[in-house]
Amino acid sequence: MRKIMALAALMALAVFTAAPALAQTDEGQVIVVHGVPDLDVDVYVNGELTLEGFQFGDVAGPLSLPAGTYEIEIYGAGADPSADDPALTGSADLPAGATATIAAHLEEGGSPTLGVFVENNATIDAGNARVTARHLADFGDVDILANDSAVFSGVGNGQGGDADVPADTYNIKITAAGDVDTVAFDSDVALAEGVNTIAYAIGSVGGESFQVVTAALGDLGEAPQGVPTGTGGLSTDGLPWVTVLLAGLAVVAVAGGTLVVAKNER
Amino acid sequence: MRPFKTTLARSIGLVALLVGAALLAGAVITYTTGVSDLGDSAAIEESLTGPPSSSPPVPASEPSMGTTTETEPSRQLWETNEKTSFADLAETSPIPVGLLISVIDVEAPIEPHGVDPRSGLMDVPDNVTDVAWYEHGSSPGEPGSAVLAAHVDLRDQGPGVFVDIGDLEPGDLVEVRFDDGSQQGFEVTATATYPKTELPLDAIFSRSGPAVLTLITCGGAFDPDASRYDSNVVVYATPTAPLTPPAGG
Repeated sequence: MRKIMALAALMALAVFTAAPALAQTDEGQVIVVHGVPDLDVDVYVNGELTLEGFQFGDVAGPLSLPAGTYEIEIYGAGADPSADDPALTGSADLPAGATATIAAHLEEGGSPTLGVFVENNATIDAGNARVTARHLADFGDVDILANDSAVFSGVGNGQGGDADVPADTYNIKITAAGDVDTVAFDSDVALAEGVNTIAYAIGSVGGESFQVVTAALGDLGEAPQGVPTGTGGLSTDGLPWVTVLLAGLAVVAVAGGTLVVAKNER
Repeated sequence: MRPFKTTLARSIGLVALLVGAALLAGAVITYTTGVSDLGDSAAIEESLTGPPSSSPPVPASEPSMGTTTETEPSRQLWETNEKTSFADLAETSPIPVGLLISVIDVEAPIEPHGVDPRSGLMDVPDNVTDVAWYEHGSSPGEPGSAVLAAHVDLRDQGPGVFVDIGDLEPGDLVEVRFDDGSQQGFEVTATATYPKTELPLDAIFSRSGPAVLTLITCGGAFDPDASRYDSNVVVYATPTAPLTPPAGG
């Protein structure tokens, strides 16, 4: 458990433009992913215990935090931060309106590391879903296929990408790059409309701990632009007020006539 | 001395004039009410108070970070997500399959519809008999606005299933049947007509907030050249009672 203690700090600074979806606030969002097998940890953020007993495959978030820079320290579960050294440390710059993933994961070869990734939280057109894939596993480059068509090719450890597609259920495969017969993941996946479904490939293929965990970054969808429900012109919805208008004119005319009669009788 | 008859005639004339003016004013007020006064959907949404609905999608608990930065309280521990696989994320909302509105003789099948990718408009049935449920939004009875849309009419098919929904009044009962056999009653709370350019789309298609069933069709003035109405008729209804479980289930 202690074998990876005191790994060198890894600085992952994310600097980018605030996305429109959250641009009105001075907060950002954070997703935390645990992708290091066989290591239960406590996560400290700016010196405070934030996630306790966080295990391989666990995901937390998205959680809103004020924009700013955060120091992340990861200790073995139950460690004393005043006496023990952290297993991993890093820092993340969270701009207002941004969504970031902080992931403890394996590099290719099996060394643990801490990565910070910016997630796409821009609005999604009505009817569409977004899928994000992140390769955080001890494995070589991969291809990611949707319904047997390559969506992302030659994705290396620490890399990823996102794509907007019509909301639907897709068969998703992760294979060794250029080798459709070496399949690491194969599953039918429902991608919800208006949601960025983020898939993190974690663990080690060789160590048989490989798995895909997910987080959902929701409320990004837009409403349809209208409801076209009539072409016939049969509806009388517009008529009642016209009827009342005509009735009013008629009464005014009669009244005017009555006044004229009254005047003539004087 | 003015003859009594003349005074009476003049009085009647004045009263009639006032009544006529009131009718005219009423016509104008009625019209503007139908168009703009109800345009404030936020007010309508706020006035809707449905019963507590089934648990909304629970976001992971937020740490209380406090808005005052000077005396920031200790950070609460974050919870790990319960749903961390694709299978967990798959939604399992009940699917509405039938609509019953006895008071206007509506009994119609409901079909899931999404978005027309070419127009960006809600996809609607190509017939006048079916009701479309916006499948990307809430299911009836769930938090947010569940949208059921159907035609008022089609030029080649005549009147549609929603031709009379503008006649619905507060208190009228709307019933939805689901694919698992369960049913949910809704009570009409408000009816509104919006020019299409002012339709409060974000509120109508909202996926959070109190549970509301939103029925939509077309209405207002008809442009025969474009074969389209200039307005949408919208009926809001809130759940009446807890979901009726499937018969025998």
